[in-house]
Amino acid sequence: MIKALGYFIEIIRGILITTRHFVVNLFFHILKVLGIKTKRKGAVTIQYPEQKKEVASRHRSLHRLMTRKDGKPRCVACMLCVTVCPSECIYVEAAEDPDLEIQKYPAKFIIDLGRCCFCGFCVEACPEDAIRMDTGNVDFAEYSQQDLIYDLDKLIG
Amino acid sequence: MTETLTEMLIIFIKIVCALVWFLLLTLYLTWLERKESALIQDRLGANRASIFGIRIIGLFQPFADAIKMIFKEDFVPSFSRKFLHTIAPFISFFFVAITIAAIPFGDILRIGNRTINLQILDFNVGLLFVLAMLSLGIYGIILSGWASNNRYTLTGGLRGVAQVISYEVALGLSLIGLIMVYPSLRLSSIVLYQGELLFGFLPKWGIFLQPLGFLVFMFAALAETKRVPFDLPEGESEIIGFFTEYSGLKWGLFMMTDFMEIIIVSTLLTTLFFGGWQVPWLASDGFHFPWGGELMLPHLVVVLLQVAAFNIKVFFFCWLQILIRWTYPRFRYDQVMDLGWKLLVPLSLVNIIGTGIIMTI
Amino acid sequence: MIKIFIDEQQVEVEEGMTVLKAAERAGIHIPHLCYHPAFPPEGSCRMCLVEIEGFPKLELACSTVVKEDMKISIKSARVVEARKAVLEFLLAEHPLDCPICDKAGDCKLQDYYDEYGLFESKFSETKEKREKKLKIGKTLILDQERCILCTRCVRFLKEVTKTQELGVFHRGIDAEVNIYEGAAVLNNYTGNLAQICPVGAITDEDFRFKTRSWFLKEGESICPLCSRGCNILIEYHPGFPRFEVPRRAYRIKARENPEVNGFWVCDRGKYGYSYLEEGRADKIILNKIEGKDVLTWENISEYLGEKIKRVSSAKKTSGIALVLHTWLSNEELFLIHKIFRKGLKVKKIFFADLPQGEADEYLLTSETSPNRRGAQEIGFDIKAVNLDALAKGTDFLLAFGPFLSGLFSLKALKEVLSKVKRKVLISSYLNEVNSLFDIVIPAALIAEKEGSLTNVDGVIQSFKPALEPPGESLPEWKVLADLGKELGTDSKLFEDLNSPGAILGEMGKEIPFFKKK
Repeated sequence: MIKALGYFIEIIRGILITTRHFVVNLFFHILKVLGIKTKRKGAVTIQYPEQKKEVASRHRSLHRLMTRKDGKPRCVACMLCVTVCPSECIYVEAAEDPDLEIQKYPAKFIIDLGRCCFCGFCVEACPEDAIRMDTGNVDFAEYSQQDLIYDLDKLIG
Repeated sequence: MTETLTEMLIIFIKIVCALVWFLLLTLYLTWLERKESALIQDRLGANRASIFGIRIIGLFQPFADAIKMIFKEDFVPSFSRKFLHTIAPFISFFFVAITIAAIPFGDILRIGNRTINLQILDFNVGLLFVLAMLSLGIYGIILSGWASNNRYTLTGGLRGVAQVISYEVALGLSLIGLIMVYPSLRLSSIVLYQGELLFGFLPKWGIFLQPLGFLVFMFAALAETKRVPFDLPEGESEIIGFFTEYSGLKWGLFMMTDFMEIIIVSTLLTTLFFGGWQVPWLASDGFHFPWGGELMLPHLVVVLLQVAAFNIKVFFFCWLQILIRWTYPRFRYDQVMDLGWKLLVPLSLVNIIGTGIIMTI
Repeated sequence: MIKIFIDEQQVEVEEGMTVLKAAERAGIHIPHLCYHPAFPPEGSCRMCLVEIEGFPKLELACSTVVKEDMKISIKSARVVEARKAVLEFLLAEHPLDCPICDKAGDCKLQDYYDEYGLFESKFSETKEKREKKLKIGKTLILDQERCILCTRCVRFLKEVTKTQELGVFHRGIDAEVNIYEGAAVLNNYTGNLAQICPVGAITDEDFRFKTRSWFLKEGESICPLCSRGCNILIEYHPGFPRFEVPRRAYRIKARENPEVNGFWVCDRGKYGYSYLEEGRADKIILNKIEGKDVLTWENISEYLGEKIKRVSSAKKTSGIALVLHTWLSNEELFLIHKIFRKGLKVKKIFFADLPQGEADEYLLTSETSPNRRGAQEIGFDIKAVNLDALAKGTDFLLAFGPFLSGLFSLKALKEVLSKVKRKVLISSYLNEVNSLFDIVIPAALIAEKEGSLTNVDGVIQSFKPALEPPGESLPEWKVLADLGKELGTDSKLFEDLNSPGAILGEMGKEIPFFKKK
């Protein structure tokens, strides 16, 4: 019983903290409604679809395939990304390019984003800097799994 | 004949008004809960529900919730006792909703030569009625827990019943001191008594006469609402409660019952300890300040002031309860029982004895 | 026998051996690129340098002959340094296009750089430009930039095929491997060139850019395309289940067996692997059956046994006919011999094999099936199918293999088979003749089952499954062993015939030819 009484001070302090937050935030919200600009905001949250946070430069977002100067993919279908991918979400089919300097290019390059875990290993493994994850695009949710399978056109475009 | 009809009509209007007030407040309490918790946690809270793109800080959220709950599948598990499963949320809801009948919203409203009591039913055992109805609500809990035929809901229901019955004792005992001070069980009389002055300036509110009783009553009442510091019957996030097998509107009824209990507890706190509809120093003809000033007011203004005072006090206690819910973590079950039986019950007994001693002196 | 010391380890070797061979025999690997056990040493790559006590300079392990008490060091600082220097010289001219090189993954140069090199390139000049894609044969592509002039290919064509289509032209920095003007590498063993090239200079169009070598799994098997029975490795991709890419064999490599094929395999065996996947049957096909709704491998022998019993009891065994082929293993032929020839005294046994093909003077034989010798040794009289004799008075036909369709027209087969009451086919392929049979049971291929084959020279070679059989396919010996138990022929013998090994043991007891030497 005495122990329970001992908690009383903390209980009061707790409710004072939440009350302070409530009153202060309410005050700043009211200021905002009245059109008074303040440095502090009532809420620290970001209203996502309208407001977007800038992604960090090292952030791993949607993949893209880099192209050569003439628009061909830089990828040489060496399949190192396929090898290193821990979720087995990349599929590459190679074809022969008549240009002897290129020789090998991907006829098919498919990433199943439904399986991708965005570890970025493919980017690190790529010897040609052909795949990057720097688009900053993170909202590519789809209604069907099939739409999450990205092919060459989608990845270059 | 016309006299009785008018009387019935008046009572009917009173019932409708009270229920509309009650349910609207319930609806917007969900909004208040979202917004208040958001402000406490430096968020914005629900602000997306809109009608034709008009959002007004999420005021339409309760309607969105209601529509969603209505259109959700009402799932009744095949292994449940169908009838009891269906009736349980209605029992819960009914016994809370009916309590509003005994609550005085204001004094007497005079229209022409007719006097209307701003209370649906002025029982002479109003206080007992409220307490009785609140305890009957337990049936909803235990029935839903048992009828779902699921061991988790059953244990949840048992926890709920054990907790509510334990706190029922402290709740009742804490009010005995109050009844000793205001020798009536009629809620309107209790409020009227609180209009008198102590030492010539202090309103004779229950909080001043029964501070210990108030504390015990408030804690016990909080436990009765089964919300967060005392939310052992449900504990959605981890300990699985009595309405696990409910969905859709039946679940919504349990949810509403929760919020209605907040309102009932607030009205009780207001009525019993904060002078109900009383405004300090406001008599039926205007203000009579203890330092000598007087301010005469027309009757309608006085009634409006009284009703407004009642509402403000109720809102305050609703706000306070939500604040408490978003401040404290849940008690452990043995702590809940300790607090009830080892602290609140002895304290309420001490309160009774103390009140008796002071009154005889 | 003399004793030598390799890195202080004492090794007993035969006299006259080279240091490299001696070390290899002792399980010590000395890095080398140009040396190949099939040819005399060349000593052009300089990777195998070792330090020998008493010799002032480093010596080539591939061409130095061992002497008594020779003390060889392959890990001393001098050797490591020299090896690194050799690698650096080789890589100075070698293009770093490993990402598009088919050899990457089993390239010896890559492996050695990883193991002994790991230096920063000091070569700042531009590398020589040469022919990147020179078609030198049926399916071979030569990349002269990648060539390290080990001359393994030149020596192969000189020593093994003796056709000498390739040579080293020019000298010094301009030296290159090339074909003679207007000629090409055209013989039946060109496929081996891509296999023996230690780098990616000679690649195979058949394999080019299809996959990467590290995805491939390999299984040991025996080539069934002629009666030589060359030992092969089947390299296959287990498939991408996520993208619905099935298992697929990508290439055949020769496996060393000095008794049969040495280190080589012919182009027919090397490129003719499409039989592993094309048109495979993977489900039991039920065209017309009575009694049972569903036939699975579990009850198929029961069903067959019942039908055979009925025929044999009613009309003696002249009502049963068999069509066999010599892709069946020794064990399977032996079981057929036991059940049908010895047990049921069936006379009408025919062999449906593809007609003889062309032979060459080296490995390829004219026989197109792998086990004709085995059938002969078991005692089968190999008669070609005679349709009239086959159908006459036959009530029950059990046929093996897909080859009937190649031998006869569908019309003729239909006419004859319509006279036979019950017809069962055990075949690995989806074939037009399948529709003529009541039941078609899918069977595993030689690459997918266990057993043994007898090659043209009478060498009995056991093999284990290299691949998983597709779908419901199972090896024939299983259904035959079950059938033997079902029919009760020689029940004491069939009691514990649960593996090809056990069957081969029984064969050895009965037929002296198959006795283990």
